[in-house]
Amino acid sequence: MIRKLLGATLALGLTTLPALAEYPEKEIQGIIQWGAGGSTDTVMRAVTPHAEKALGGSIVMQNVTGGVGAIALNQVVNGDADGYQILFGAENPLLYKVMGLGDKDYNDFTPINVLARGVPILVARPDAPFNTYPEMIAYINAHPRDVKFGSTGPGGLPSVVTAMINQKTPIDVTFVPYDGDGPALTALQGGAIDVMPAVLGAAIEGIKGGTMKTIALFDVEASEALPEAPTIVSTNPEFGALLPWGPFFGVFVKKGTPDDVVAKLTAAYGEGAKADDFKALMDGRGFKMMNISGAEAQAFLAKWQSTTAWLVQDAGLTKASPADFGIPKP
Amino acid sequence: MIEILQNVLIPFLDLKLLSLVALGTFSGIYIGAIPGLSVTMAVSILISFTFSWDVYPAISLMIGIYMGGVYGGSRTAILLNIPGAPSAIATALDGFPMAQRGEAGEAIGITTVMSFFGGLIGITVLALAAPSVSAFAIKFQPRDYMLLAVLGILLVGSLSGDSLVKGIFAGAMGLMIGSIGLDPLTMDQRFTFGSTAMMGGISFIAVMIGMFGVSEALIQLHSMKTPGVKQVINRIVPSFGTIRKYLPLSLQSSAIGVIIGALPGTGGDIAALMAYDHARRVTKDPEVPFGQGAREGLVAPETANNAAVGGAFIPMMTLGIPGDSVTAIMIGALFIHGLHPGPMLMVEQPHMFWFIVGCLMLANIFMLIFGLTGIKLFVKVVEMPRTVLIPLILLLSIVGAYAVNNSLTDVYWMLGFGVLGYFMRLYGFSLGPVILGVILSRLLDDNWRRAIISDQESLPRLLHGIVTSPLSLTLFLAVIVIFLSKTPLWSMLMRKKTS
Repeated sequence: MIRKLLGATLALGLTTLPALAEYPEKEIQGIIQWGAGGSTDTVMRAVTPHAEKALGGSIVMQNVTGGVGAIALNQVVNGDADGYQILFGAENPLLYKVMGLGDKDYNDFTPINVLARGVPILVARPDAPFNTYPEMIAYINAHPRDVKFGSTGPGGLPSVVTAMINQKTPIDVTFVPYDGDGPALTALQGGAIDVMPAVLGAAIEGIKGGTMKTIALFDVEASEALPEAPTIVSTNPEFGALLPWGPFFGVFVKKGTPDDVVAKLTAAYGEGAKADDFKALMDGRGFKMMNISGAEAQAFLAKWQSTTAWLVQDAGLTKASPADFGIPKP
Repeated sequence: MIEILQNVLIPFLDLKLLSLVALGTFSGIYIGAIPGLSVTMAVSILISFTFSWDVYPAISLMIGIYMGGVYGGSRTAILLNIPGAPSAIATALDGFPMAQRGEAGEAIGITTVMSFFGGLIGITVLALAAPSVSAFAIKFQPRDYMLLAVLGILLVGSLSGDSLVKGIFAGAMGLMIGSIGLDPLTMDQRFTFGSTAMMGGISFIAVMIGMFGVSEALIQLHSMKTPGVKQVINRIVPSFGTIRKYLPLSLQSSAIGVIIGALPGTGGDIAALMAYDHARRVTKDPEVPFGQGAREGLVAPETANNAAVGGAFIPMMTLGIPGDSVTAIMIGALFIHGLHPGPMLMVEQPHMFWFIVGCLMLANIFMLIFGLTGIKLFVKVVEMPRTVLIPLILLLSIVGAYAVNNSLTDVYWMLGFGVLGYFMRLYGFSLGPVILGVILSRLLDDNWRRAIISDQESLPRLLHGIVTSPLSLTLFLAVIVIFLSKTPLWSMLMRKKTS
């Protein structure tokens, strides 16, 4: 009897403990999946001070780079599910399984907030002999292998956009690999490559300054940040079924983190993402604000993974089929 | 013109900005001096820290740290033979032998004045010729970067010490270490043995700290009884005559620094090594042989790496393209503060450009002042008995390796490479080429593949591209001439000419 009572009190004590200690009672560690100065880094460092204010705690940000973000992801997934380690990531982990980069992805996490998504845009060097998407396709068909496309390795945004293009009209171009869209866009301005599928935010200043030109915006509607850029669906409506698509930025904690902690963080980042200067920063860089959480965020992630994994699978870029991991066909 | 001057003078006239630049430069010197603590890291932490500040104070502090940090790396290189940053590797080669001869004070003095000089040249080029330099830098094609990397590989000749064969071996080992990890171009895993920890590759800062720091500590264990080297301090600031003597060399090194710094994808580390090699080639008869404490071996890399700072800002300010990892973060900082670095920044907000020029100038001046003070205290480090010095080096190495990525894995790598480096030194291998290989590995590998892929995987097309582009041809000829100049054939020809 006594033992039973003791067990009950203990159990009671254990269940009430998290509620007693007010989260956050110590510094929270924030792990950024990408290097300092990159777009994930910029976005996360811009929103977090606002979230800290709403949370009433401090989040120490740290870049853990390498393995297309897998090292950061594994670090958080191997830690405790107590809300004291937050992962600031981009879309890449959703492709780890099919690319053979690891067996963990965002399904092992609880999304706190999917902040925003980027819009892909196809840009060319200013003196490229084509100005629109149909002209580009015509030129590529007339000059096989001559046109140089920048790429960033299988699974990156350029490979997905290229997979979309290939699904509609197979193109014969030369892919020159770069380690990120920044270096590739630099090469584009120097004439080392002709066309680059990039994220609007990375290309917008170059387009405004005339060091590169827009071929097509890969979205269903025009961008407020760059209204004159023609959308791909305005010339080639067949792309409508694949769009909108884009890389995204999200805040995550390990699955199994107590609900009250998740709720607090969700509220904090939801509030932080509403800050005017953060929204202005995102608009200016051509990112579309999403600010979604909970079931809505989970649904978004599931749909993104299914669309993209199968796109790259059909393009022959994967190491394992999405079907092996139970990723449904869109 | 008056408007330009007004903007340049903003940091000089505003007490708050002035003290922020001073604070930044001062802390930059110490951050730079501690191996593993990098300027890149400090500036990225500052982004969160200065988030709510105005843009001017935030930029002032960051520029101060950047300028101070690039210089600070030389401190530990000279005193302890551990370069505080990769850009100070070449400095250790002749700086440390000088300190061992009791001339640490003079070495630091030369380093400081030459860093100031290099910084000044870099800033001047930034202010006067930024658009044309960036137009030139951006024209570098993958094949040009590849040739530049090959040119870099040839530095093995200058870094090998006594045995060229051992140097080549060490360089090849470095190239291999650099290729470990996830290949960023194809996402294939190379030499990772399926381990996630290996996917990020081996941090080359960890390799550097181990090879220089730990191996130095182990080597010193051989001579525990030898007392610390007594330092003579009679002259810290080099005389005007000395400066004038090295003027041609420092101008040439600055030019190397500005160009390499302005190239997106290469930075102060490669600039300093190339300048060092250049110094060895143009200096006919140094007072002291290179590698044993030649002053030229300090002058060249230190002017080059500080000139690279101004260089790195050139593509950043004119095109929004980072010249190195620190300017990449500063671009992010400008975005956060509502500016839009890109080709239009100079057109729409020229005041920002001139303000940054002003901050750089001020930081350069503070660097000179802080660099020349407290030297007497610093050189005491070399005078310390081995029983204090060795634990100090090991402690610094461990803290530094951990700080790179806050990961214990890096500490293990560092210790492993330290022991390896110790044995390599015992058997007469110099370690410079290993680090050179690690630095150049990606540059060479990535750009070779880009170059050959761009030319549809056809070698004749690539060669055609090289001979028809003036830039590529120049680099190609430079590679050939430098290679031949190290062969016996060349020295035979030269002898014939003089006789």
